[in-house]
Amino acid sequence: MTENTGGQQPTNEPRGGQTSAEAAGSIRDRLRAPAELGEQNAGGDSRGSDVTDASFQQTDSAAVLAASGRDEGQHGTPHVTAGHAGYQRHEELSEREARRAERKVAALFLLSVVGVIGFVITFFAAPFKFDEPDNIWFTPLLAIFMTLALTGIGAGAVLWAKTLMADEEAVQDRYDFASPEDARTATGQAFIEGFEATGLPRRKLLRNTLLLGAGSLAVLPLPFLLDLGPYAHKERAFRSTAWKKGVRLVRRNGTPIRLGDLAIGALETVYPDVPGGTFMSDTPTMLIRMEPDHLTPRTGREDWSIEGHIAYSVICTHLGCPVKLYEQQTHHLFCPCHQSTFDASNGAKVLFGPAARSLPQLPIALDDEGFFVAQSDYTEPVGPSFWERA
Amino acid sequence: MTLLGKGAAGTGKWFDDRLGASKYIKKSLNKVFPDHWSFMLGEIALYSFIILLLTGTYLTLFFDASMHEVVYNGSYVPLKGVTMSQAFASTLDISFDVRGGLLMRQIHHWSALLFAASITIHLMRVFFTGAFRKPRELNWVIGTLLLIMSILEGFAGYSLPDDLLSGTGLRIAASITQSIPVVGTWAHILLFGGEFPGTSIVGRLYAVHILLIPGLILALITFHLLMIWYQKHTDFPGPGRTENNVIGSRLYPVYAAKAGGFFFLVFAVCALLGGLAQINPIWLYGPYDASQVSAGSQPDWYMGFLDGSTRLMPNWELRAWGHTIPFNVILPTVVLPGVLFNIVGAWPWVEQALTKDRDYHNLLDRPRDKPRRTAIGVMGISFYVMLMIAGGNDIIASIFQISVQTITYTLRVAIFVVPVLVYIVTKRVCLGLQHNDEELVHHGIESGTIRRLPTGEFVEETVALPMSYQLTIAGAKGAPALEAGSNGHGELVPAGEVVEERPKPRGFFRDRTVDRREPIRPEATMPPLEKTPRK
Repeated sequence: MTENTGGQQPTNEPRGGQTSAEAAGSIRDRLRAPAELGEQNAGGDSRGSDVTDASFQQTDSAAVLAASGRDEGQHGTPHVTAGHAGYQRHEELSEREARRAERKVAALFLLSVVGVIGFVITFFAAPFKFDEPDNIWFTPLLAIFMTLALTGIGAGAVLWAKTLMADEEAVQDRYDFASPEDARTATGQAFIEGFEATGLPRRKLLRNTLLLGAGSLAVLPLPFLLDLGPYAHKERAFRSTAWKKGVRLVRRNGTPIRLGDLAIGALETVYPDVPGGTFMSDTPTMLIRMEPDHLTPRTGREDWSIEGHIAYSVICTHLGCPVKLYEQQTHHLFCPCHQSTFDASNGAKVLFGPAARSLPQLPIALDDEGFFVAQSDYTEPVGPSFWERA
Repeated sequence: MTLLGKGAAGTGKWFDDRLGASKYIKKSLNKVFPDHWSFMLGEIALYSFIILLLTGTYLTLFFDASMHEVVYNGSYVPLKGVTMSQAFASTLDISFDVRGGLLMRQIHHWSALLFAASITIHLMRVFFTGAFRKPRELNWVIGTLLLIMSILEGFAGYSLPDDLLSGTGLRIAASITQSIPVVGTWAHILLFGGEFPGTSIVGRLYAVHILLIPGLILALITFHLLMIWYQKHTDFPGPGRTENNVIGSRLYPVYAAKAGGFFFLVFAVCALLGGLAQINPIWLYGPYDASQVSAGSQPDWYMGFLDGSTRLMPNWELRAWGHTIPFNVILPTVVLPGVLFNIVGAWPWVEQALTKDRDYHNLLDRPRDKPRRTAIGVMGISFYVMLMIAGGNDIIASIFQISVQTITYTLRVAIFVVPVLVYIVTKRVCLGLQHNDEELVHHGIESGTIRRLPTGEFVEETVALPMSYQLTIAGAKGAPALEAGSNGHGELVPAGEVVEERPKPRGFFRDRTVDRREPIRPEATMPPLEKTPRK
């Protein structure tokens, strides 16, 4: 054949090798039985133990293999034969079978039309708002019609390709994309020569000022980055919360809590009675009431709790999730994110899990009207650790 | 000339006069693509990305990435009158007040899961078949970057609705940022524009999610495909397939029809899931609130391994010289993924260093033929799966009524022990499969026919393995030896000796029991036999 060393010059031979005799027929002769096409993919990784007679009985003749082999494959040319070399050859479709295959593909294409019509009707006619009756059918119906529309075209195209298009086996040579040695040298040389032509290797002043100028350009974006947040006193935000002396502990709806409002075993999430106090990320606190003799206050914190009422930060010291699963009997506090477990009766010490520190305790007292108030802010940073934290 | 022909010629001439594209296009139409089911995994990733672009663009028309607080007054009754961010409210509107909006949202979410999943499985295929070897190392690195991008993109995306679940995820992300030594506090303040949650993060993530990362993904996908095009696809060993050719169907029309049809099928699956399988029902979670959380909070699957590593980590924290280094946070969430992705990205060079193999490889390995690589890969998968299981330890605890502590302690040991066992077992399985191959090649297939010899001895007849399978088993080394001939059974006999002499595999991959450089024997071990079909 031709000496096409240029790689991919195609001289299309739609049919090749042993199939030329069959090629003399009409286009229809080239059609293949769809039933056997599933075998096409079995080749590459087929396991020896999976070999059944059904497949190996139909191994190809020497000619098929030879036709696709290196010896006869034209250099740099997609060389096309019918059938899969080395695997199943597919039976030619008869005129009747081909017409049947065509009808199947057509039916799938028409399915798309049905899908689109159904989709449009559902879209505009079916109730979809939450407060409308029967709205729950809207999304599933849309999806089913959309799926029909997409499947029709998709499956139709695949079936069409597998049954009605020629079952070709094209062989194409790979080309060597590494450049010859002299081309590599020449390219390298061009780079070096160009670099020398700029004068940079000789002119030290030029080189040094260029480096300095380009380097200082890198500083230019930094101010923009720094201005993304309030960079001054950055960690002060992590060290303090809105709690302070005399601030009442209020529920989500803003009502304060009196001694006796909580039953024994109860847990109430409380917030500081300050504007926006319920929406801050570091103030949520839990007020727990347990039998006073169950409570073992830590040394120096004997007066931080009142009659079995004790307040801890809700924010986990591990990664900041709310630790709110409370087990009344054991007084365990459990974080649903990473399962850190704290002992509420014993200073919220860590019992299990990845958290390294106890939950911060909020010192509480009662004000003149008998409502719970904070004695001060938390005495340590709330939430996860950070570099500047001692 | 037919009317169609005239029209095509006219159009072609118009373009060729201006672009001179005919030559290139003709070459391209004839480009040959090999056929194997596993080559479609990357296609699924590509198609799910296209679906993400289509559905995502639609969602941007209705989503409002603002943390400004509003009182909800849409059609979802249970949340009427609740104060929430504009982001959450507009997501509710998409779900309940925009026609087909819920379908779009859910298709978007499902195809995002599919995107990350198909990339992961595609990566495994490339790993186990050795498709990353020279000359395709760069494409492997691009693929690794795409995997990382898909995870970041997914995380940014599911954080946007500002619901309780994603807000909890963001809080964890904020805490991880804050835990990084030296720069963590700064990074946190700059990222969130102040203390968590601030009022900026959703808007910033929105820019990242719809512009920055999709742009990068698009650019990387372009390079990925260009390189596949230029270097040509790899192929499995088989009859006629050599290191120097590609066998399959041409781009036009067969491959194009199949691939185009496949796009619609992938889309169809996403649409069906999006309409019938509820995903991320944010209206059930409610708006984000720092003091609320629900039990069983799990992230999307691709974040699961990091969640698991965080759960398994013991509570080590270093406090010294006025500073805190929370190893319990940075080891599992920063160091671990950093190390893992670096190992994955560097694998082609690691393997080159171990095998000293610097040849071009266009024919793929069967996983069994590289027992150590395969064992390392399966070991990695087992490690990953352990982390995924740990990420669901609370769910497992409640389903199976085992204490979560027991599961965690068990997994802390298992994460180191199981991968080692998996390595050993996988390697043995690979070697066993090689033996099986050897048996098939050298002794043929059992026919089930027993023959009595004149001496009274009973033997079972065997049938030679078909040449196509022999060549597949022979792998990349066997293929070049092919020369056609016949053994009288209508089957091919290869020339015998393999032409190419290669150094014996040593060191890392030396455990290869079947020396494929031996001549392939098509003859059965027994006297000449007829092929006996199995009943």
